[in-house]
Amino acid sequence: MNIHSNYAYLVSIYWVCLLFISCSNDGGNDEVLDTDTYELIQPEGFPEIKYTTQNNPITQKGFELGRKLFFDPRLSADGSISCNNCHQQSRGFADSPVHPMSIGINSQAGNRNAPPLFNMAFRKEFFWDGGVTHLDFVPINALESDIEMGETIKNVVEKLNRNDEYRQLFKEAFDVDSITSPRILQAFSQYMLLMISNDSKFDQYQRQENNVTFTESEQKGMLFFDEKCSSCHSGSLFTDQSFRNNGISDTFSDNGRALITESNSDIGKFRVPTLRNIEVTGPYMHNANFDTLEEVLQHYANGVKDSETLDAILKTENNQLGIALTESEQADIIAFLKTLTDETFLTDPKFNNPI
Amino acid sequence: MKSTIKLIVLTFAFFAISCSSDDDGASNKDAVSTVKIKWDNIVGQKDMNIVEKQNLEYGYKTADNQDFNITSFGYYITNIILEGPNGERFEDEISISAADAKGVYHIKEGDFASAATILQNVPIGKYNKITFTVGIPEEGVKEGAAGGVLDPAAGAWFWNWNAGYIGFAIEGHASTSSQAHNEIDGFVIPEKSFAIHIGGWRDITPLEGETPKFVNNVKTITLNFDSDVTVAESQEPSIHLLANAKALFDTSSVDFSTTYSVHAPILGKQFADVLDQVFSYSHVHQ
Repeated sequence: MNIHSNYAYLVSIYWVCLLFISCSNDGGNDEVLDTDTYELIQPEGFPEIKYTTQNNPITQKGFELGRKLFFDPRLSADGSISCNNCHQQSRGFADSPVHPMSIGINSQAGNRNAPPLFNMAFRKEFFWDGGVTHLDFVPINALESDIEMGETIKNVVEKLNRNDEYRQLFKEAFDVDSITSPRILQAFSQYMLLMISNDSKFDQYQRQENNVTFTESEQKGMLFFDEKCSSCHSGSLFTDQSFRNNGISDTFSDNGRALITESNSDIGKFRVPTLRNIEVTGPYMHNANFDTLEEVLQHYANGVKDSETLDAILKTENNQLGIALTESEQADIIAFLKTLTDETFLTDPKFNNPI
Repeated sequence: MKSTIKLIVLTFAFFAISCSSDDDGASNKDAVSTVKIKWDNIVGQKDMNIVEKQNLEYGYKTADNQDFNITSFGYYITNIILEGPNGERFEDEISISAADAKGVYHIKEGDFASAATILQNVPIGKYNKITFTVGIPEEGVKEGAAGGVLDPAAGAWFWNWNAGYIGFAIEGHASTSSQAHNEIDGFVIPEKSFAIHIGGWRDITPLEGETPKFVNNVKTITLNFDSDVTVAESQEPSIHLLANAKALFDTSSVDFSTTYSVHAPILGKQFADVLDQVFSYSHVHQ
């Protein structure tokens, strides 16, 4: 950075500060204290925050309310299913492997593997097909799905309004006398926005913290990963947030991205998932096709099936399918992927069941 | 040193700009009045009447003689702009938040309160056209969870899975509809019914070689008045606009035997593309 751009940088910071000072007189004092510890901080190297925090500033009360709602089975039609049933912290907020497609009310099986929840603040689209473009609208889908929580958002609002404790909590969090659906959705978002995973062994290694070192296998795995996987699983989120057909099948009962774009060129495409905490979020793929990472790597090495929308990266010019990976390369890549497990996040008491 | 002085001068300029917006409206407060937009829903030349679900009496006919009735009809209107021949301009304020959806109107046949939109603080003068958007555009969806008429727990028309709002909807029965009786967990879709929901707000140009992606069915419509409408302190005009359900069906050449369940942007395009024929200017009460 030369002197000129340094100066421009300082001036721009000055303006930003000024903006905050000149327009901040409507916030209360206690809110300032809250945001000290419940602030959505932009992690270094992450893509910029996509969420509209200006519409929904995070406070301790709002976050805690979202946490309580997340663990409350009363939100489902029969009082049996909370968000936590299918999104468990120790699994990176994915479901347990014994429920590959998750189980909703009346023991109904789901259609897709429950995705993990973290680093949501930096995402532009949600769900396997990207049908939802704002985090606030994500929980409605689980609440109102006949095979998940089986409720209507209208009824959830009525149930919560009948509960004195919740009325008080919404009053404290949002200064409202009655509970409305946007406030419920904002509370959920506040809880989910702070789910940030960036303290894995890999992160510490990158930041040169705690004298963390990689084993030879992890080191080699990282190089193979960069060479063979990172064109899709790119950047600090380990996903380019695109939708691709990775050849797990050549027929599609679930059209994936095409359900949203209504374009035949998107049939069989699904969101490229993050690989952070991948060790604990199995089974893998939207249809829980693979139980283990070994199976996933074997798939890319010699299981890719051709179809019209198969991603071009998985097809070489001489019609060779998949990614050239020896068995030892696969093992090294898996060793590297396991460095993406973030025990700090998976055990952070801030996200535990509050009840 | 020079640059420090510059910075201080700029600071004051910035404060002056950032804190002056509140004063503008107050200074010409006495030069504004109120305009009422009246949304009259019709079917051809007839007034629109809503019937109960499963009622198979048909009060209306399409141009090609398909009998139909209507059980539900409505639309979202936003971004209202009035313009006049001498540069008069009024832009309705839009503010979408968890608390409210200001400047967004959900007009529903049978809901008397929704039939009139009151526009306040319209500068006095002459106006000869109105522009408005049917449906909730990208800017609205991107605000996140919204209250007021966009609150899904309070009757907002919202698509969960392909998240966004239904901009225009008509439901009813038609003599030619192929819809069979269908019951899902107590929810009944009656025989011979139709439901046309127009949604879809994303506008992304496909890459070369890709089939078209997404359909943006949010439409902006401009209607000219047949004479100038005067807005004065003592004159609060009531402008009557028409939404003609028969025009929707006739202009789109609907065939209910094949088109009776429209719940995706591509299917809705056929109808969204003729919305400019559905809305028209009727008359004004000065």
